[in-house]
Amino acid sequence: MLLKVENLHKIYKNGTHALKGISFEVEDGEFLVIIGLSGSGKSTLLRCINRLIEPTAGTVHFLGRNITHVKGEELRKVKTQIGMVFQQFNLIKRRSVLTNVISGKLGELGTFSSIFEKFSQSVYDEAYKSLITVGISEKADIRADSLSGGQQQRVAIARSLMQNPKLLLADEPVASLDPATSNSVMQYFEKINKEMGTTVICNLHFLSLVRRYATRVIALKAGEIIYQGHPSEINETWFKTIYGEEAEEVEIR
Amino acid sequence: MIADPQLELQPIKIIQQNQEKENKVKFVKAVLLDIFFVFYSIIVVQRAIYYKFILELRDIPFSWGEVGVILLISIVIGAAWTSTKTSLSCKLFGISKDNKVTKWTLEIFGWFLFNITFIAGWVITRLSLVDLFSSEGIQGAERIFGALFKPEMGIFNDAVFAMIETIYIALLATLISIPPALLISFVTARNLMKDSKFTFVIYYILRIVLNFVRSIEPLIWAIIFSVWVGIGPFAGMIALLVHTIAGNAKLYSEAIENIETGPVEAITATGANKVQVVWYAVVPQIVLPFLSFTIYRWDINVRMATIIGLVGGGGIGTMLMQYQGLARWHEVGLIVLMIAFVVWVMDYISAKIREAIY
Repeated sequence: MLLKVENLHKIYKNGTHALKGISFEVEDGEFLVIIGLSGSGKSTLLRCINRLIEPTAGTVHFLGRNITHVKGEELRKVKTQIGMVFQQFNLIKRRSVLTNVISGKLGELGTFSSIFEKFSQSVYDEAYKSLITVGISEKADIRADSLSGGQQQRVAIARSLMQNPKLLLADEPVASLDPATSNSVMQYFEKINKEMGTTVICNLHFLSLVRRYATRVIALKAGEIIYQGHPSEINETWFKTIYGEEAEEVEIR
Repeated sequence: MIADPQLELQPIKIIQQNQEKENKVKFVKAVLLDIFFVFYSIIVVQRAIYYKFILELRDIPFSWGEVGVILLISIVIGAAWTSTKTSLSCKLFGISKDNKVTKWTLEIFGWFLFNITFIAGWVITRLSLVDLFSSEGIQGAERIFGALFKPEMGIFNDAVFAMIETIYIALLATLISIPPALLISFVTARNLMKDSKFTFVIYYILRIVLNFVRSIEPLIWAIIFSVWVGIGPFAGMIALLVHTIAGNAKLYSEAIENIETGPVEAITATGANKVQVVWYAVVPQIVLPFLSFTIYRWDINVRMATIIGLVGGGGIGTMLMQYQGLARWHEVGLIVLMIAFVVWVMDYISAKIREAIY
């Protein structure tokens, strides 16, 4: 088992109770999609898994090890094994695409060599390989902020690939992209999942994308899991429970 | 997925405890503020309004005993007032009862505070329209403004040299300030230092030191250093330098605090260490704001350098002071015009450069 989350709670300093006892397990090679309204705790859950934030109660086991409260160097080690892709891409805007991709490797590089940007040839080779995987190796030398949204997200994926992650987290990776680009970006996640065998946990909004890519779905509502199962089992009734009575499904292709 | 009932209860308890703690802190703050308000009201009404305005006393009687008695009275009234939860401070800290008494207190006492402050200000600044428009006053104004239109050109060369000295004082102070200000700014940026207790203590202490240094005007630093290293441009430069480091470190650290957090989160998530996160996610975002602040600071420093010259910091300010002391108004006129011109040019140049780099 790759990941085991047990009775996870997160209470923010302002009193918001974002996660209320979340428990689930993730097997190696799954493409797990988490759905739910904005504010239902999806992002918080992902950030508790790779420990960008510390859970208030409960445990997270990753690769059989309790990582709920690890600190310092150990925490860094854990983070290097988990890749993450964000809704806003979060690239370093004024730097080149290549530098951005290499920044995914920082966890394994020395402080001085990374400050003076003295990287070994193997690092460059790996970066180009990642860029080829997402199909934009020809853009390696241009500034990251001059790319389109879809291209920036692909650079972000290439950056996370540099970590050779066991687990790839994606926090609404296509929410700021248009439908056509969304699909192509999702295809890269599928490719990484199927060809490299990387486990993917992805927050998504569009059910059509969920049905197409997910092998399993978890639905969150107000910080609690209200549905777990296969994407094809989400019918009209479940949809209304998850998204509220007035919701209507929007199809994107 | 059956949750342990004890664990289930725990989060709600934590929220409640946090809230109670917060309300206690707020109450203590409110008591202190109310005591201050009452103390302020009594002191102002007694000293500025009663003694000076109504009795028109020249020498106001003063004794620490009296102040102590007033303080004691205010502590009693203030604390009592806060505990009714209808005081001004309770409202400010959001712990007041929501009733009519609170509303009246707020309106009446707020208005009262504003008015006594205004009257006290009037009395203390000796606001006098008579002085402003007396015939003697008008004559003086004519003398000064007349000199501005007939500047004495005989000292033009000396003034230019003094001006150059001033510009270089400002330039050097700004240049030398950059490395220390940079270093300090990273350790006084809240978002970089809040993670561990140790770094937060450093952050906190440095912030206090910086605020202290900044709250002392360059003019006063110039007085200190003119005693320390002797009157002249060096004293002026060091005075500006000290203030610039403190001021720019604050501006830089605010730029660091205002960066987009996304890239920081992304680089942290790759497992990079602290230094790498700063270098890759923070530094690229702050280079331009830093440049812009530094150029603007040079512009400010040219203005400051003329002022600190007045207390012996060298340059055009010292020259101005000498001629003003001799009451040679035409020379003063030339110097004032020159300062105005240079400041205007510097302002223009710095604005253009800042526009260009953004």
